[in-house]
Amino acid sequence: MKQYKTIKVSKEGNVVTVAIHRPDASNAINMQMVNEFSELIDLIDEASDVSVLVLRGSGGIFCSGMDLREFSLDKPPDIYGLQKWEQMCRQLENLNKFTVAAIEGDCIGGGFQMVLLCDARIAENRAVFQFDEVKRGFLPGMATFRLARYIGVGRAKNLILTGKKMRAAQAVDWGILDHVCEQVKFEETLAQTVNNLLPFHPDALAMSRRLIHESFNNSYENFFGHFLAAQDRCIKSDVFRKLIVKAHPEG
Amino acid sequence: MTPKSKPVFRRPEFGARIISVGTAVPPKKYTQNEVLDLYHEQDRRIRKIFLGGNIETRHLYLPEPSNGQMPVESNQELIDKHLNGVLELGPKAITECLSPLGLAPYDVDFFCCISSTGFLCPGISAHLVNKMRFRENVQRSDILGMGCNAGLNGLQAVSAFTRSNPGKKALLLCTEICSAAYVYNKSVNVAVVNSLFGDGVAAVLVCQDNENFLDGPIIFDFESHIIVEAIGAMKFELDGTKLSFYLDRDIPYVIGANVEKPLGRLLGRHGLKRRDIAHWVIHSGGKKVIDAIEYNIGLTDYDVRHTLNILRNYGNLSSAAFLFSYKELMREDIVKKGDVGVAITMGPGTTIETALLIW
Repeated sequence: MKQYKTIKVSKEGNVVTVAIHRPDASNAINMQMVNEFSELIDLIDEASDVSVLVLRGSGGIFCSGMDLREFSLDKPPDIYGLQKWEQMCRQLENLNKFTVAAIEGDCIGGGFQMVLLCDARIAENRAVFQFDEVKRGFLPGMATFRLARYIGVGRAKNLILTGKKMRAAQAVDWGILDHVCEQVKFEETLAQTVNNLLPFHPDALAMSRRLIHESFNNSYENFFGHFLAAQDRCIKSDVFRKLIVKAHPEG
Repeated sequence: MTPKSKPVFRRPEFGARIISVGTAVPPKKYTQNEVLDLYHEQDRRIRKIFLGGNIETRHLYLPEPSNGQMPVESNQELIDKHLNGVLELGPKAITECLSPLGLAPYDVDFFCCISSTGFLCPGISAHLVNKMRFRENVQRSDILGMGCNAGLNGLQAVSAFTRSNPGKKALLLCTEICSAAYVYNKSVNVAVVNSLFGDGVAAVLVCQDNENFLDGPIIFDFESHIIVEAIGAMKFELDGTKLSFYLDRDIPYVIGANVEKPLGRLLGRHGLKRRDIAHWVIHSGGKKVIDAIEYNIGLTDYDVRHTLNILRNYGNLSSAAFLFSYKELMREDIVKKGDVGVAITMGPGTTIETALLIW
C-alpha cells in the first residue's frame, strides 16, 4: 500500500481506510492533501479487491477546513487550487466503491463537504460540524450545491450564512448523518455501517447513486429514460443472471 | 492497488487533421407538431412517438400539400428528391467547409461521399464533381448503405489517404436526405423512423500538412466494433415498391451493453482513461440510445450536450449528425491544445465506430 504524507492509508480485507493526517495543522486541507487524495482515489478506482473506502480523521479531529497558508503572501490568490479541490471532491463522490465518512471531533469547512460526498455518514456524539467560510468572507465551496439537497434551502441558508456549529445529534435529525454513537462504540458502529453496505455490486451502486444525484434536477421523462438505461445495465449483469437462476429452482 | 505498467499516452506531433467542417440543411424547418398536422395524424400512439422523442424541429424536404392533403411520393420522386437534395445541400456544405481556407473544389485531391438514403449511379461524387468543378483527376469513393455510423467509416478512408499522401487534401461529404427514404403507413415502426430522421449534409476537410494546417484535431486512431448477432436490428425492408427503414426496439440497449468494448480498446492501447477525455462527439441517434451510452460509459448530460442539441434541433441526421455536433463544439471555442476527444457513431450491422481526436 503506497503511503502518503497528509493521509494514512490502510487496507483490511476489501476495506481501505484513509485517515486525514496533518497533526501539526489540525488536519487542515492543503494542496498536497488534495493531490494525494486524487492519486489515491484513482488507484482505488482501479482496484478490483476493494469494495469500501472509509474516510476518517486522526488524533480526535476529522478536519479543520482549508489551510489558508496555501495562499501566498506575495501574489494575488487564484482560483485554480480550489478548482482542483472541487475536482477531487467530485472524484470521491463518483468513486466506483462504497464510501463511508466516520467523524470524530471537529468537522469544519472542507471536511464537512467531504462528509456530504460519502454514501454513508456516521459520527461519535462529540463531533461538531460547521461551515464557517461565509462568516469569514469566502465560500464553503460546492457545499453550497450539495447541502441544500440534503437538508433543504432554508436549513442550508441558516447553516451556511450564520456559520453556526451543529452537533452530531442534530446532523442525524436533519439527515446529514445516518447514525451517531457514543465515543466508546465508534469502531463497532463503523464496522456495522460497512457491513450494512455489503455485498458490493459495482453496477447497482454506480447506477443507483447517479440516479439519486440526478433526481432533484430532471424532468420525469428524462429521468425515466436514464432509469431504463441504468436498469438495463443492471439486469444484464452476471449477478442478476444468478438471481434469475435462483428464482427457478426447478431449473 | 499497486500501479501496473501500462501504455503511457504520448501526444502526437503530427498526423491527419480535421481542418474544417461545413454543414447545410434544407431551407424549410418543421416542428414535430407541424409534420403531424400536415399529415392529419390523429393516432394517439403515433402523436406520442413524434412528441416524446426529444426532437423539436427538423429540416425536411416535404412535398407541398395539395387540396390540404400530402401527396404520396412515387419511387421516382423520392430518387429525384435525394439527388436534388444532394445537389442543393452538397455545394453549400462544401463551400462552407472550403472557402474560409481560401480553397475551392479544384484543390481537393480525394473526394469521399457517403449516403444511406438514396442510390445513385453515377454516384454522388460524380454529380458534385460535375456541378462544382473538381479536378478531372480527383480520386473518388462513394460509400453507400452503411447507415448512421458511416461518417466515421468515411473518416477512416480520408484520414488513411491523407496519411499516405502528406500535403494532399481529402474531402468527406455525408449526405443524408432522410425524407427521400420515407414511406407512410400507420405502423408504429414507420412512425418511429418518420419522427426521428432529418435531412442534412456535412462536409469535412482532412489533411496532413504541418506547414500550412496546424489547427484542428489530429485523427489519431479508430476502433470499430460490430455486433454480428444484432445484424437485423437496423435495416432497409421492402414496403411494396419502396425501401422502408426498420429499427428494432432493443437497439439502445444493444448499443449500451457494447459501447464500452471499442471505447475500452481505443483508450486502453493509448494509456488513456475516460476521465482524460475532454470532449465527446457522439452521433445523435435518438434519446434512448444517448441515455444508454451516457449510463454505460459514465457520461453526463453536459458531455453529450451537443449530441442532444443536434437531436433536438435537427433530428437524427444519420451519417452527418456527429459532424454537426463537432461543428457545435468548435463553435463553443472551449477546446484547448492538448485536449483529447472521442467520436462515437453507431448504426446498422449493428456497428459502433469510435475515433480518438487529439488537439
